[in-house]
Amino acid sequence: MGSLDAVHKTLAEEGFLATRLDTFVNWGRKNSLWPMPLGLSCCGIEMMAMVGPRYDIARFGAEALRFSPRQADLLIVAGTLTWKMAEVARTIYDQMPDPKWVISMGVCASTGGMYDTYSVVQGVDMILPVDIYVPGCPPRPDAVIDGMLKLQKRIELERPVKNLMEDRSADNEWIEGHGEMIRQENQAVPQHDPSAGVASDESR
Amino acid sequence: MNDQSSTTERVSCGLTGQKYETLESRDGMLTLRVEITEARALLLALHKECAFEINTLVTAVDHGIEREDEDKPRFDMIWQFQSVSHADRIRIHSWAKSQEPVAPSIADLWSGATYGERECFDMFGVIFEGHEGLKRLLMPEAYDHFPLRKDFPHQGIEPDRLYKAWDRERRQEEGGEA
Repeated sequence: MGSLDAVHKTLAEEGFLATRLDTFVNWGRKNSLWPMPLGLSCCGIEMMAMVGPRYDIARFGAEALRFSPRQADLLIVAGTLTWKMAEVARTIYDQMPDPKWVISMGVCASTGGMYDTYSVVQGVDMILPVDIYVPGCPPRPDAVIDGMLKLQKRIELERPVKNLMEDRSADNEWIEGHGEMIRQENQAVPQHDPSAGVASDESR
Repeated sequence: MNDQSSTTERVSCGLTGQKYETLESRDGMLTLRVEITEARALLLALHKECAFEINTLVTAVDHGIEREDEDKPRFDMIWQFQSVSHADRIRIHSWAKSQEPVAPSIADLWSGATYGERECFDMFGVIFEGHEGLKRLLMPEAYDHFPLRKDFPHQGIEPDRLYKAWDRERRQEEGGEA
C-alpha cells in the first residue's frame, strides 16, 4: 500500500510484468495458506475451534490443516514450548518447504508467558523466525484469524519474482541468537525490587 | 481414610518385627517414619502382608542445603500407598541422610513406582538402588541439574544449553552437506 511514487519506482525498477506477477503469486499464496498445527497446550484447543464450523478459517482459505510439515507453509506454534520440545519444533520448521511463515499463538509461545521457569523456552523466537505474534492466554479464535489476516497483508508486500531472480537466502536468513538478543534487552530493564515499593512495580 | 484405627490395627499386625514410629498427620492418614536402612524391609512387609495394592506417590522433600549434618538430614523421602480391598491409605516417611540421597527402589514390588522413581530422580537426584533404567523422565537426558532442589534457581541453570549444542551440531552438518 505504498504511495503513487513508490508504485512508479517499483514499476520503473522491475517493470509491469514482474509486479503484476508478484501480485498474482501473492494472491495465490495468501488465500491458500496450509497451516501445520503445532498444538502444544490449551492454545491447541482454541486452534481446533478456529478450524471448526463456528469460526471457520475456510473463509480465508486456510482450512487445510496438514499434519505433515512437508505439505504445509504456515506453522502455528500454539502453546507452551519446552526446551525438550524445542528440537522437535525446529526440525518441523526446517522440514517445511519455502515459502513458509510462522504464527506464534498465545503468550507462552510468544514470550514464555507465566512460565518464567527452567523448562520453558522464553519465546519461540529464540529458536525460529516468527512473522505474527498473537497475544492472549489462550487467544480467542477470532484473534488468531485476525493474526492470519495480518499475515495475508504481509504476504501481499512480498516480492516473489524479485526473490526468484536474486539470491533470496540473505533475505530469509534468520539472525542467530535473535531471541536471545531480545531477552538480554529485557533483562536490561530494571527488575522488580520489593524494597522499592509500588512505584517500581508500575515501571516494570 | 477417616477410620484410622482399623488401618493402624491391620498395619501393626502386618508389620510385626519392623522398627518404625507413628507420626501425627493433619489429614488423618496413617503416617509412619522409618530409618532409611530399614525402609526396604518395611515396604516389603507392607506389600506382602498389608494388602496395599497401589503405590500412589513416590517423592521427596528438600529441607534446604544448610541441613546437612546427621541429626538434621536434608531429604525426606515419602511413599504413599492405597489399599483398594480395605479402602484406606498409608504414608511412609524416611530421612535420606546425605547430600546425594540414596533410597531403596520399590519398582519390583509396585511396578507403577517405576515412573514415580524416575521422576523423583529427575527432580531431586535421589538414587533408587535396585531400579533398572533409572534415567531422566521430564528433563533432557543430558541435563546436569535437579530442578526441585532448594538450591536450584527457579529460572533455571542454562536451560537452553542442550538445545544450543544440538543446534550447533545440526548447522555444522548442514554446512558439511552443502
